[in-house]
Amino acid sequence: MRHYIRKSFVLGGALSLAAISVQAESFNWASTTDPQTMDPHAVNSTPVLSFLNNIYEGLVRRGQDMSIEPSLATSWEPLEGENGWRFHLREGVTFQDGAAFTSADVMFSYERASNEAADVRSWFSPVTDVRVIDDFTIDFVTNSPNPLFPSSIANFMILDFDWATANNAALPATDSENFATLNVNGTGPFTVASRDPGVKTVLTPNATWWDTPTHNVTEATFTPIGNAATGLAALLSGDIDFIEPIPLQDVAQVESRDGFRVIEGEETRVIMFGFGHEHDTLLYSNDVADVNPFQDPRVRLAAAHAIDIASIDRVLFRGKIEAASQLVPAGISGFSEAHQDRPAYDPDRAKELLAEAGYPDGFSFGLKCTNDRYINDEALCRAAASMFAAVGLDAQLSTGPVRDYWDQLRADDFDMYLLGWSPGTFDMEHPVRFLLHTQDDDARLGSWNFGNYSNARVDELLPLFQQELDPAARQGMIDELVAITQDEVAYIPLYTQPLIWAVKDNIDVTQRADNFFMLRWVTVN
Amino acid sequence: MVFFLAKRLIQSVFVMLAVAFLAFSLFRFVGDPVSQMTGVETSVQDQERLREDLGLNDPFAYQFARFTGDMLRGDFGFSYRTRQPVAEMIASRMPATLELGVVALLISLLVGIPAGVYTALRPRGFATQAILMITLVGVSIPTFVIGIMLIFFFGVQLGWLPTFGRGGTVNLGGWETSFLTVDGWRALILPALTLGVYQLTLTMRLVRAEMMEVMQSDYIRFATARGVPMGRLYFRHALANTMVPVITIIGLQFGGVIAFSIVTESVFQWPGMGLLFLESIRFVDIPVMGVYLVVIAFFFVLVNLIVDLLYVLIDPRLRISDVS
Repeated sequence: MRHYIRKSFVLGGALSLAAISVQAESFNWASTTDPQTMDPHAVNSTPVLSFLNNIYEGLVRRGQDMSIEPSLATSWEPLEGENGWRFHLREGVTFQDGAAFTSADVMFSYERASNEAADVRSWFSPVTDVRVIDDFTIDFVTNSPNPLFPSSIANFMILDFDWATANNAALPATDSENFATLNVNGTGPFTVASRDPGVKTVLTPNATWWDTPTHNVTEATFTPIGNAATGLAALLSGDIDFIEPIPLQDVAQVESRDGFRVIEGEETRVIMFGFGHEHDTLLYSNDVADVNPFQDPRVRLAAAHAIDIASIDRVLFRGKIEAASQLVPAGISGFSEAHQDRPAYDPDRAKELLAEAGYPDGFSFGLKCTNDRYINDEALCRAAASMFAAVGLDAQLSTGPVRDYWDQLRADDFDMYLLGWSPGTFDMEHPVRFLLHTQDDDARLGSWNFGNYSNARVDELLPLFQQELDPAARQGMIDELVAITQDEVAYIPLYTQPLIWAVKDNIDVTQRADNFFMLRWVTVN
Repeated sequence: MVFFLAKRLIQSVFVMLAVAFLAFSLFRFVGDPVSQMTGVETSVQDQERLREDLGLNDPFAYQFARFTGDMLRGDFGFSYRTRQPVAEMIASRMPATLELGVVALLISLLVGIPAGVYTALRPRGFATQAILMITLVGVSIPTFVIGIMLIFFFGVQLGWLPTFGRGGTVNLGGWETSFLTVDGWRALILPALTLGVYQLTLTMRLVRAEMMEVMQSDYIRFATARGVPMGRLYFRHALANTMVPVITIIGLQFGGVIAFSIVTESVFQWPGMGLLFLESIRFVDIPVMGVYLVVIAFFFVLVNLIVDLLYVLIDPRLRISDVS
């Protein structure tokens, strides 16, 4: 064994010497999901947008701390005399095929991304007009003042007009593939050298990238590995350099081995329980009929007081979660500092509240959860069900895969449900728009507010603070809104879930709170 | 013979239709493809429009008729997940699954048959007891556990073999083969062992039981008395007579190996049809699931046909009756 170690050490030394002499740093990484497409406008999902951000670029981009910084636009300012933003574009940028980047490409990409065939079109719902001023200036006109607009299009990636039209990819593919589904031509730091969907994708650096590379990768290979144990074995055997995510229970094993590191952070996803505010009866109760006790805020508060986050953290998450008080975690813009306390774990208070509401012996109801969507989701719900039971709330737990979960929630088939929400725009406005505003399909509001929580003042505040340019006034409105939803216990926010990545010791990567993986921040030492 | 083949082919069309129907009627319970295809920010109207465009709102009978009609015309449709043509996806994944299945089958035959003969001839030997014990353990442990154990031992601890994927492949006119590179073979060993261990045990035990029975029969005693050499006696006279049931079971099992390589493929991230099917279930990719199941049904039919033809080769009596 000793001999073996020495031999491998010598071999390793020789390899790294060889690597330095040719400056070739190949990097292999794995994740659970293959990006479905190489088309940046076709699917609005993290695996796709994260992957394509290495290849395509937007007008603005997010830095390591999620802050907005210039990318293909060098600066931007509000329009004068009307609502909207003017973007000044970077000059001298070329696409990977050599074509020059101009405002015509931005215009084309806007038309493409806001088309019915594009899944990202909701980003442009406030946009009423886009005007090309000159080759390097473009205006986005919005229907009302929109201070968030530049940051809301951080993942709006720019395609070359000539390339897309010449290859019949002027629109994202809907029913069949097109050229842009498998091929790329971005302005970003990397380009696709080869792609075998679901098997392997090889990226190489873009030699003509406008920005100074901070990475030293010469070839990066991505392999989707769906099975967690296989992914871990691939890392530990050295076949891959980096994997995300790894299951919580494997953290100790990775940490116990030499040559590997676990990188932990907080994702911005808040895990919460939701109620059927609009339901007049419970669907899965054995003892109450003709009434939905959860319509009484005291009952909802009792449920909140029944949950012991500290125990859940200790037992299920090895101390890696952060308790949540509202629908975004601290650090996200709009987070209400004034209301950062969540209902304390207090089973006695919970029982009192239930008695006040007329349920001294509690009642039974259905709790619906996923078992493959969030970290330890099923275990969380089992723990919560036993905590509810301790105060008399008898949760009939049913868990299932996420692939038909949303369907069931949309069909109102729940009494209480589990939901995780990551604010796509990294602002409080996002969960308010999707989870708290009254359902309104025509206005595209409240589309994930399954229980249809509805409060007139909340509905009134949303557009007001969306348009408010003064940060203090804006925060004041959000504070009021958070106070209302906490008083009414619209949801029970539980915690933000951790991001757990594992990497070889000789690799530096940067973990960003949106769980995007940027190759331009990878260093192979 | 021609009549026999034609009859079988017609039967196979009905089998595949039945499978397609069953599969299709189950898909409705798998989940909603549209919520998998769109992001969280996609509006309800846009989801509904997509559902309409994909024809998911049409009545079941109509959807099924459209699916089978397109299939009969050779149009296998497009994947909901990747938007690629389904025929292309399945065709590109098929070599991986077939090569894995064939190697697993070869392992099971090349080890299983000699081991079966040996354990039948030396029923009380120490080696026999050991072989029977080990294979019993091997068959009792679930496939994915065997796979993970092999990966951790040979891949992680010893570092001898790759832990996932196919390694180096060579493209032979559209067929990606692992057989022509050392890397490809190295990557094949563990998954093929994992997939073959159940087959191996089954083959061995079947050969053993048949051999023991045959060895008791009159003609073997007679041949022994006549002084036929032992090698010829065991293999030409005894083993050949055990082959009809063995081929039947192995043939049926081979269909199973192809169909149920899903678990092995998932453990080894083996880019075959089974892995594709698993990914498709996760994303409710109905076109891919439908075509995969029909293709698998076709494999079963084909393997059964080959088994029937093999009977004729092995058992001279069947040949005679066919001629007369």
